[in-house]
Amino acid sequence: MRRVVVTGIGAITPLGHSPELLFQNLMAGKSGIRHLQTAFAESLDCKLAAWIDDFDPLVYFSKNQAATMDRTTQFSVAASHKAIEDAKLELTSENCERIGVYLGSGMVGANSIEEGYSRLFRDGAKRLKPYTVLMSMNNAASAQVALDFGLLGPDITFCTACSSSAVAIGEAVRQIRHGYTDVMLAGGAESLLTHGTMKAWEALRTLANEDEEKPETSCKPFSLNRTGLILGEGAAMFVLEEMDRAIARGAHIYGEIIGYGTSNDSAHITQPSVDGQTRAMRHALQDAGITADVVDYINAHGTGTKLNDAVETAAIKEVIGDKTPVSSTKSMHGHLMGASSAVEFAVCLMAIKHQAIPPTANLATPDPELDLDYVPNLGRHHVKVDVVMSNSFAFGGTGGVLIAGKV
Amino acid sequence: METFEVLREIIVDKFDKDPDEVRLDSTLETLEIDSLDTFDIIFDAEEKFGIKVPNEEVAITTVGDVVALIDRIRSKEK
Repeated sequence: MRRVVVTGIGAITPLGHSPELLFQNLMAGKSGIRHLQTAFAESLDCKLAAWIDDFDPLVYFSKNQAATMDRTTQFSVAASHKAIEDAKLELTSENCERIGVYLGSGMVGANSIEEGYSRLFRDGAKRLKPYTVLMSMNNAASAQVALDFGLLGPDITFCTACSSSAVAIGEAVRQIRHGYTDVMLAGGAESLLTHGTMKAWEALRTLANEDEEKPETSCKPFSLNRTGLILGEGAAMFVLEEMDRAIARGAHIYGEIIGYGTSNDSAHITQPSVDGQTRAMRHALQDAGITADVVDYINAHGTGTKLNDAVETAAIKEVIGDKTPVSSTKSMHGHLMGASSAVEFAVCLMAIKHQAIPPTANLATPDPELDLDYVPNLGRHHVKVDVVMSNSFAFGGTGGVLIAGKV
Repeated sequence: METFEVLREIIVDKFDKDPDEVRLDSTLETLEIDSLDTFDIIFDAEEKFGIKVPNEEVAITTVGDVVALIDRIRSKEK
């Protein structure tokens, strides 16, 4: 079986535009969650989000290119540029036939759809801009990545809500393993902090109540006073490469993707199930050919909702046990929806690189029902992190679990 | 404002072109403007002049062709 390693990482996140900066901020317990500075924020119950204010599309695109891409697509292409540059990957017309892109996202065109509907229904416009379809369609982001780099291999968008990018990465690994491609750009992107989308999330009653004293600590995974998630935006893309190829060209290797598991709960459209989550984790362990005791760190799905954190704790206990450190970095970078698995997988690879474990922030009041080692509030340095597991569980029931190992 | 001047302004702004590059006889191809971008330019011109360019087969090669198309609609709609 061909083995797959990660040789490049590109990230655009609320806590920095590189995996290093993101990890440094997480280890320091910094939060990217704050009040939205938009006109519609006043109409929201939860006015918080982990939003990005220092992304300049003109660094990556001409004015016209930027104007024809949704923000999600801009993030996708920008993160891909960073990943390819990081991997020092040379793209030629010959090798591009065996390079593809797999990208996960919940709703690629969220901003463009909102803009179009606003023009039409609110402003009474008689027509929409010619690029509306091409900016709104769900495959726009991966298509623009393929176009930008001239990738001629498979180009597929994965849409499984909050596990989208775990599934994209896992399926990309299989493309290389099974010999269809040699290199894949894989990951995810999301930017859905629009008025309509945020009101829709508000209606689901899953968003956190604001911590009035310290708004940036409002997302409190695994704590007794947790009230929900905070939406975020961003992207992370990876260069996945067949191991012998990577070694032959002397590429820096962040780690090997040794296991991937996916399954559906088939239980409820929103409520997670212990059964479904354990199945996804077991599939990943089986795929990796390892036993649970070798996992050094789990980056939990850890949304901060009452139900998720209880169900995930039970599932981890059943499959992995109660000794392995588990943290939810969503407490700081927010829930990036379709991009969350990719950003959290970047965190996992940084944990291997730095032999350090980021904390679950804002865990001041433990929930007596939840009794794993959640790495509360303080990150751990100088610990052995050779095997990491990244959990993602989605509305719709699709779980995606990735396992990476030190090479 | 003259149709050509408005169109030139749209093209210069959208595609970061030098105004001197955009002449009536410049082909859209040399300006690296494809058919999709042409729709986009026409959309902006429609907004600017308050006109509606119908879907019809018109051969457009140069900036002048777009100007002629818009002028034809403008004079019709008057």
